[in-house]
Amino acid sequence: MEEELKQIVGAAKINVGAVSNRADFEAFKAGITGPNGSLTKVVKGMGQVAKEDRPTFGKLINEAKQQVQAIYDIALEAIEAAEIAERLGPPIDPSLPSPDSEPGSLHPLTQVREEISRIFKQIGFTVAEGTEVETEYYCFDALNTPKDHPARDLQDTFYLPDDADFGNVSKNSDERYLLRTHTSSVQIRTMLKGEAPIRIISPGRCFRRDTVDATHSANFNQVEGLYVDKNVTVRDLKAILDYFFEQLLGKGTTTRFRPHFFPYTEPSFEVDFSSSHLAKLGSDWVEIAGCGMVEPEVFASVGYDPELYSGFAFGMGIERIAMIIYGIDDIRYFYQNDHRFLKQFA
Amino acid sequence: MKISLNWLKHYIDLPESPKEIADSLTLLGFEVDDMESTGLPQLENVIVGEVLGRQQHPNADKLGVCRVALGDAIGEKTIVCGASNYKVGDRVPVAIPGAVLPGGFTIKRSKLRGVESDGMMCSGKEIGAGEDAAGLLILDGRPELGTPINAVLTESDTVFNLEVTPNRPDCLSHLGIARELAARYQRELSYPAVDNLSAPGDRPSGEEIFKSVSVECEEDCPLYRATVIKGVKIGPSPAWMQDLLSAIGLRPINNVVDVTNYVLHECGNPLHAFDARDIKGSKIMVRNAREDEKVVTLDDEERTLSSRMVVIADDERALAVAGVMGGQNSEVKEDTKDLVLEAAYFNPTTTRWVSKTLGLSSDSSYRFERGVDPSSLRFATDRAVQLILETAGGTVCGPEHVAGSEPMVKKEVELSTDWVRVKAGFEISDEEIRDSLERLDMVISEESDGDWLVNIPSYRGDLDRPIDLLEEVLRIYGTDKIPSGAVVATATRENDNPITEFSRRATNYLVGQHFNEVVNYTLRSKAEQQSWSDSVSRMALGLKNPISEDQSQLRHSLLPGILESLRLNQSRKTGASRFFELGRVFHEVKGKVVEMISVAFAEYSLGRPRSWKLREADDFFTVKNRATLLAGFAGIDIGRFKVSQIVDDSTAWQEGQAALIDDPRAGILAEFGLMNLERIKALDIEGDIVAGSFSILPERLKTAKRVQFQPFSLFPPTAKDLALVVDQSELANDVVRSIEKIAQKATEGAFAMESIYVFDIYEGEGLPAGKKSVAVSMVFRSTERTLKDKEVNTAFEKIQNVIREKTAFEIRD
Repeated sequence: MEEELKQIVGAAKINVGAVSNRADFEAFKAGITGPNGSLTKVVKGMGQVAKEDRPTFGKLINEAKQQVQAIYDIALEAIEAAEIAERLGPPIDPSLPSPDSEPGSLHPLTQVREEISRIFKQIGFTVAEGTEVETEYYCFDALNTPKDHPARDLQDTFYLPDDADFGNVSKNSDERYLLRTHTSSVQIRTMLKGEAPIRIISPGRCFRRDTVDATHSANFNQVEGLYVDKNVTVRDLKAILDYFFEQLLGKGTTTRFRPHFFPYTEPSFEVDFSSSHLAKLGSDWVEIAGCGMVEPEVFASVGYDPELYSGFAFGMGIERIAMIIYGIDDIRYFYQNDHRFLKQFA
Repeated sequence: MKISLNWLKHYIDLPESPKEIADSLTLLGFEVDDMESTGLPQLENVIVGEVLGRQQHPNADKLGVCRVALGDAIGEKTIVCGASNYKVGDRVPVAIPGAVLPGGFTIKRSKLRGVESDGMMCSGKEIGAGEDAAGLLILDGRPELGTPINAVLTESDTVFNLEVTPNRPDCLSHLGIARELAARYQRELSYPAVDNLSAPGDRPSGEEIFKSVSVECEEDCPLYRATVIKGVKIGPSPAWMQDLLSAIGLRPINNVVDVTNYVLHECGNPLHAFDARDIKGSKIMVRNAREDEKVVTLDDEERTLSSRMVVIADDERALAVAGVMGGQNSEVKEDTKDLVLEAAYFNPTTTRWVSKTLGLSSDSSYRFERGVDPSSLRFATDRAVQLILETAGGTVCGPEHVAGSEPMVKKEVELSTDWVRVKAGFEISDEEIRDSLERLDMVISEESDGDWLVNIPSYRGDLDRPIDLLEEVLRIYGTDKIPSGAVVATATRENDNPITEFSRRATNYLVGQHFNEVVNYTLRSKAEQQSWSDSVSRMALGLKNPISEDQSQLRHSLLPGILESLRLNQSRKTGASRFFELGRVFHEVKGKVVEMISVAFAEYSLGRPRSWKLREADDFFTVKNRATLLAGFAGIDIGRFKVSQIVDDSTAWQEGQAALIDDPRAGILAEFGLMNLERIKALDIEGDIVAGSFSILPERLKTAKRVQFQPFSLFPPTAKDLALVVDQSELANDVVRSIEKIAQKATEGAFAMESIYVFDIYEGEGLPAGKKSVAVSMVFRSTERTLKDKEVNTAFEKIQNVIREKTAFEIRD
């Protein structure tokens, strides 16, 4: 009996070497401890053993069982390790690139727009939106633009056909639809809808009937700002724009106002900046924006009392700012969408 | 507008350099776009010298050694010279040591091939006077020895090209600009004196030449003056006048025409001279043109007029288009003897309309359109008469022919200096305010305690209100000196617009999914839009006045632009495979066009064209998922809307491989799937493109509402599966929705069906042709207890019974 058990364990130790997968293992296990297994047979033979010998044999059988179980455990561990290794495959080459697409990218115009929005949000300006199709009233009349102002000419502004009918662009009376030439129309609609204090910026796409070249585009993006409250001063306007341009273009950026003329502001200014950070530009003054105090006629057209309220408005081209801060020399890059351009700003 | 520095100097001292003057003009509000200098630059140590004698250079065949006289102060010097075009006794420009010639060449005392030279005799090119470099510049007229060359060659000038804003027609002349500079520099402005003319009453009668003027349309022409000059002799105008006119780009014609042009650019008043012979009936009438009346203007074009236009006419015909251009029939010719000189004030609006309608713009119309100062007509007339008499001779005749009267332009504005300070937001003293206004020729006629009454000069049509004066005060004070201050930022209680928020979330998602954002033009070609789909081709998206066919329609979708970006990047081999755009599109719903906010994306279904490891292809369900997420950012659960296969109508999408959700009531439109294979091939794009777009009416985007927490069950669920045999064309979602309804009813009041989803679709062996099996899993759960098998089974039985009785679905065992 004892010899038999030794043989069984010995055979198991040898045979386990041939076990390489779970099926082999189950067969191997069945051959020893299965219903007809060699060890099971010995256990079943216990009945014929003399009563007084049983404790000794029982002990021997238990020892054999433990030894077999240990063999099982080692074999199983090896099989599981092999299975995992097979599932995982060979070790990776960590230097290989990901086969997935390259990172995506946000268009530089979007980035500049978002940066401008972020800076203005710091000082309480929120983003207002309007439609690209507008009407002559909101684009010109309400902004104190004379009836025969050249900006209204068919050569300069895109119009929709006379019978055009827009479901979600409201008219003041029976004026014409057009493609907005600036986002000032958003200021008018915001003032009509809300009440002072108002502090908004309105970024968006605008249209002028220009021929495309290095500095002109069939459409372009602008951001305008409007601040209406009691006692808003010229100095406040300067302070806000100084703050903005220093945030945008870096510390040490200075601005200067030059007198100018816009129908919707009085007084009106053009804004130049000078920044040592933008080496390409040197120390010259560079034109960057237009601004001014809201013209009383504009307040009158939206029903605000010009005696009570004052305010300022400003506007600038997003393409122009992007060209300045990134050093881009041709506006057409923005609309070509060559990935070698786009990914530089990712 | 072109302004000559020499011309400005007729009216004001300007010792500043042209660059400084340009900066001053810019800060006054007249932006100088560019400036061009002609003639000699300012040169130090270049003076007139005379060649006294020449000897051959001992060491160089081509050089001469000259004795040169340079005037008493310097005496005689030896100069080595390589030129050969001069002779003894010639006077030439000599650069003596210390001179810096154009290009930075500095003259020093030096040895040339062993011979000392005390300077250099110069060619025209070397001193910047023309292009002649062949020999020395021989000076005519034997100028004084030692005279600085700038005093001899005085024909230099700088021309500023500057922008005059539309509110400042008073600055469309040299006097106007000089007036501004006088205000800035606080210098005397000297107007040309015209007091040497005879008084109108003392002039001989010109009745035999010209009789009268009359105005029929007073609104279009409030004031008209005609002056007769007889016996002029037409010839070229003097050189000084020709030089000034040429400098600002005008071609000298003859003395009379040049004078009218000169006066226009001097004081801003357009004038016109008629040949008196050609005025039939010797009378001028300002009247509306007759419908289809013809006149040949000075530019040789026959113009057909309409009755809203205004002409200067004699008894028989139109002689000029009022304020715009004269007619050929009465122009000043070589043999003209007697003139009628017109000075008038034409209505700006009329002039602009006429000029625009005729497509004819002139220096005159440009000024009338913006508004000339009517009270300066008399000065302009006198100035022109004076110059004509000076340059063409003749006699000015009486009486003066005047129709209409000078409009009253005396203006006064009340101004409070405290108000100025409040609006400016910084301290600016009464004295500074007064100084600014007075420098601009305004007069404070009354004042008490900082409340002023300010008289406005007649030429400042733009100044009517205190706010207008604020601008003038700041302009003279210096807008570059406006101080900065602390940013005042009170709360406004507003959020960014929902469109902005949606755009940010959508773009962030797509960039995170490796998409590159592109920006395409809004205007697309009609041909492209029409080829997109039948429904798009019927939409009214065209412009009234497109610039070209290529850009004649509002875009209905962002996808055509994105496909172009794909193609460009493929042909340029940039390797990029995913693109998206976010922007506005236009769509027609029930006869009305609407503007929608749209986001669209397109990608190669196989990703990168070559890769060391293949990924599973992106397919319809990839883009459906993307579109669903994008709609979710707009607060739209796309699953709630009817989705249909895109069929026949479209050449944009591949039939049977793309889907559409179009719900005009909810204001949404979504499309996604495989792009039409032939279209993609026709666009020269290799590879399959899957794409999607989601558009929504901007007014349907709302600021996200705060979510309310919903409690959920802590008890375990029970799931039941059911396979249904349905028609192949049946949409799986429709099957799910009908089972859902049945199940909800069957469990009503007892417990809830928490979810239902498709877990298997099968067609083929074991099923009849034209049928498919849709297997759904239903999950039941109660919020109050663990469900018993029995109650779930009862409900499941009930559901199956209803399906058998009420639907066309067959339950598969």
